[in-house]
Amino acid sequence: MLNYVLRRGFMALLVALTVSFATFSLFHFATDPAQTIAGEDAPQEMVDDIREQYGFDRPVLVQYGDWLGGVFDGDFGKSYFWKQPVVDLIQEHAGVTILLALSSLLVTILIALPLGISAALRPNSWVDRFALSTAVSAQAIPNFWLGLMVIILFAVTFPIFPVSGDATWKHYVLPSLVLGASSVPAVMRLTRTGLLDVLSSDYIRTARAKGFMGYRLILQQAMRNALLPIVSVLAVQLGNKLGGSVVTESVFSMNGLGRLAVESIFNSDIPTVQSLILIFVLTFVLLTLAADLINAWLDPRIRMG
Amino acid sequence: MRTRPPVPIGNCLTGLIALCALSFHANAGPDNDTLVVALSKPLTTVDRLYSIQREGLILSRLTDDGLFFVDPESLEFVPLAASSYEWVSDTELEITLREGVVFHDGSPLTAEDVIYTFEWVINEESDTSRGPVIRSWLDSVEKLGPRKVRFNLKLPYPMALRDMAISIPLRKQGTYEDAEDDAEAQPLNGIGPYRVSAFRAGREIVLERFEGYYQTSPKANPAIRNMIFRVIPDQGTQQAELLSGGIDIMMDVPPDVADNVSHLPGVKRLEGNDIRIGYITLDAAGEANPDSPFVNRKVRQAINHAINREEITRYLVRGSAEVVHFACHPRQFGCSADGPRYPYNPQKARQLLAEAGYPDGFSFKLWAYREKIIAEAVVSNLNAIGLDVDLRFVKLNVFSKVRNSKDMQAFFASYGSGGTADASASTGVHFAANSARNYSGDEALAATVSSAEQTIDSDERKRLYRKALNRIAEQAYWVPMFSYSQNFLLTPGLEFSVPKDGVPRFWQASWRQ
Amino acid sequence: MMTIRQTLGDVSIASVETPPEYEGGSLGLTPTKAALKRARKHHGLKIGFGILLVMAVFALFAPWLAPHDPYMQNLSLRMLPPVWNEGGSWEYLLGTDHLGRDYLSRLIHGARISMAIGLGAASIGAVIGVTLGLLAGYFGGWIDQAVNFLVTCQLAVPSLLLIMALVFVIGQSVTVVIFVIGVTHWVFYLVVTRSATLRLRELDFVAAANAMGCSKFQIAVSEVLPNLTNQIMVIFTLEVAVAILNEATLSFLGLGIPSPLPSWGLMIAEGKTAMFFQPWLVILPGIALFILVIAINLLGDGVRDVTVTNRRN
Repeated sequence: MLNYVLRRGFMALLVALTVSFATFSLFHFATDPAQTIAGEDAPQEMVDDIREQYGFDRPVLVQYGDWLGGVFDGDFGKSYFWKQPVVDLIQEHAGVTILLALSSLLVTILIALPLGISAALRPNSWVDRFALSTAVSAQAIPNFWLGLMVIILFAVTFPIFPVSGDATWKHYVLPSLVLGASSVPAVMRLTRTGLLDVLSSDYIRTARAKGFMGYRLILQQAMRNALLPIVSVLAVQLGNKLGGSVVTESVFSMNGLGRLAVESIFNSDIPTVQSLILIFVLTFVLLTLAADLINAWLDPRIRMG
Repeated sequence: MRTRPPVPIGNCLTGLIALCALSFHANAGPDNDTLVVALSKPLTTVDRLYSIQREGLILSRLTDDGLFFVDPESLEFVPLAASSYEWVSDTELEITLREGVVFHDGSPLTAEDVIYTFEWVINEESDTSRGPVIRSWLDSVEKLGPRKVRFNLKLPYPMALRDMAISIPLRKQGTYEDAEDDAEAQPLNGIGPYRVSAFRAGREIVLERFEGYYQTSPKANPAIRNMIFRVIPDQGTQQAELLSGGIDIMMDVPPDVADNVSHLPGVKRLEGNDIRIGYITLDAAGEANPDSPFVNRKVRQAINHAINREEITRYLVRGSAEVVHFACHPRQFGCSADGPRYPYNPQKARQLLAEAGYPDGFSFKLWAYREKIIAEAVVSNLNAIGLDVDLRFVKLNVFSKVRNSKDMQAFFASYGSGGTADASASTGVHFAANSARNYSGDEALAATVSSAEQTIDSDERKRLYRKALNRIAEQAYWVPMFSYSQNFLLTPGLEFSVPKDGVPRFWQASWRQ
Repeated sequence: MMTIRQTLGDVSIASVETPPEYEGGSLGLTPTKAALKRARKHHGLKIGFGILLVMAVFALFAPWLAPHDPYMQNLSLRMLPPVWNEGGSWEYLLGTDHLGRDYLSRLIHGARISMAIGLGAASIGAVIGVTLGLLAGYFGGWIDQAVNFLVTCQLAVPSLLLIMALVFVIGQSVTVVIFVIGVTHWVFYLVVTRSATLRLRELDFVAAANAMGCSKFQIAVSEVLPNLTNQIMVIFTLEVAVAILNEATLSFLGLGIPSPLPSWGLMIAEGKTAMFFQPWLVILPGIALFILVIAINLLGDGVRDVTVTNRRN
């Protein structure tokens, strides 16, 4: 088991490094960060001055090595655009994204689990059909558009919630709904098939045939077995929410990591983009690792393979 | 013309009105004497010496004073922390400081502070954002008395007062001493009428009135006690916040939004002409491609005739925007010329193209980074005379990279001249020999603008700029298009005047009684 | 591959992973005929196919069906409301946009772009995914490991962020968007192809073919691909839908299709500033997107249902 964890951990690190170097070179060759730092109406001398001062004229590998060296000392560099340490920026913005990711995960669970369970309990009933068509529709709605629609509906036509921002809990209601909705189809379908699997297994069938079980017992027995894979999927979905936050935070103007990432791309703020991608990748890799470990623990065959 | 009043689409409007009543942030307004201003772009530092952002300039007009400032009415550079000044020669400027000027920490302003500030700026090590510009003309500053200094210039430079007014706020001696390599992270100690009480990067900047501000200042006794600059990048959010009382004023409102929102109760709209101009630069020098059609003057003239500036100005820029015919804003000093103008005339444009040897047109890339809607209107105009235009609408840093490496055949851009009412800030910046924006390749023209920048005599400067502007128009290096209109949306309780140079002065704002 | 399955988080992949078993033997029907017979009874598939057919006709014949030139600007007729609103006109059924262009015509032409992007990106993804899958499954060893590493990298990056970064540095155009979405969406194809190839490698007839002098790769291609057609087709439709949504999101964020092309996502972005006052500018393209994507998904689910039969429900 330890061997497995170590192997996966090493893989995760390698992935993170590959991805971050790829992004670093990408930006290096295509944009002029010196102009970003100097600003829109900056005179030429100023831009040249900055290029030299920040060492943008050095080879890409040297610049990357520099940055990476810092990362191992816990120094992610200084944002070209914000002119402050990237670590501070990330600390400032992480709260919003974590809160948004968790609250939207809650939304996903609250919608997807009941739908999936009731669909599985009565396959082909109207509940099942309703659940499936919800999933099909939810998959087809562009997430950013759903965001705009709920803003028009719940923030303007019926001004219940604020249009955007991240100051109070009220600001999180609509974004969580929208971001949460994006994972509903996947989690709902998985719950449904997972539970159907368990329900059709021999021991439950026998128990049901003998009339031993009411719904409560079924839920208790079957869910215990069906739930663990769902938990591991939710871990992965949580990672996906980080990526999804890019869109949701832009639509709702929330000062989170996703939006910071988008703006940093636009600003070719390499240290910030770099660090964010590294963090996104690490988070994702850690969450999938957790998911895998749950599965490995459930099913020893995986460890061997 | 069929302009419609914004359609009050039932629910939407009711909703917005209801939203006014429902307030999420009731921290703005006269009740607690706090003016809340929305900033679209985050400010990265409150130290003007380390920022050239427009937002930084706006804020700096509150927290900092320089030796001079821009008079809100005449847009001339008049003494602020200085009480008087005298050009002893073309390269020697003597300045006397006002009495009773104190920094936010209570210490008085002395000649040493002025010398420290300018020496810091021209020091290569300090890396201030305007360092390279100031270094190009300032040689040294020497002390003549406790409140008297002399600036020794490297060359005659008529814009010295401008640079002092706009770019160089005064700093206490030793401000950056302990900073090591993080000079811009210092807490701000200025002499302006407001002091920074909190700065949260990317979120907000909180200011409070500085009660020790010198009474002899033209900016003395500002009416509002507290100011908060909240960063709200999204226009829609700003609108909603304005309607719900979360903010008091929105700047740089797009005309469409201003039109729509201004019909709602509880909002006032202010509009005025901005000193910013929009233009298209054509690659006359063939920098991007020596065989470029734009090397041919007739092609450039054809483009000038093809663009319907009147219609674009009237329907898209709107308000008090005006068509501009020369490479500067009419309100700028030196911006008068009598060279050729190019009225909208697609037939003539086609004819010129044919004469130039392009009867079937040609294709090229038009680069742009702002006002996409206007760029698209331009493209449509150019399509109409048979040109195949590939619009490359990109972000500023990509735009700059391509422009600075002289890889553009044509670009649509705008320039605000940093709020400076002088042709040196527009014509000068764009046609100087070393300017990355200069695609004319015209050395004689570059010499003309450069000598205008080293001439103190006003009449001679005017003559030189006229010569330059006429040359630009004859050669059709540019398609000068329009001056911008600026729109502000504010709560009706706020008194505020539209800045003539496009840079708001919030120390002038007050609550309506 | 456990990780991948969870990451993709979609059970549809679980069902395509199972080898297809055709029924209908008792009726003496060929698998194809049996599938067609089932298709006729499948409502979702019929509805999806119908909608798609209509939209495809609009997309193909847009220049003849659209009432106006979608690029024709009329600055004096900006932002007219749709005909059912006060101030609307029959001349411009769905109103005009911020440059006075006919909105209906732009929506019709927009269908072309969405479909081109969807088909183009899904095809590129299919080529990459299937090729890598064949290589990894057949040769195994370090090739398999390298491909596996590539998959892990691909899955670990938030794909939207990656696409945005790529488009930002390469530059915006339809080709770039198709290409970038394509090269970031191949994992589904790979998973299916790889596992099918792996299974095949175990079988005797491959060894036999090998003995007869066929090259390894020829065998892989000629034996694996025909068996995979159905599954790849299902994945293809799902990926078309994903690509269309991705393009819309990208264009909405300002990093997709360049103006003045009438991309639906771009139209939503352009209408966003006036969203509270001229909401149709945002609502209409969103509805168009929704209908197109749901039709594709219905078709995809339908094809899966009728070709892959061991469904539990």
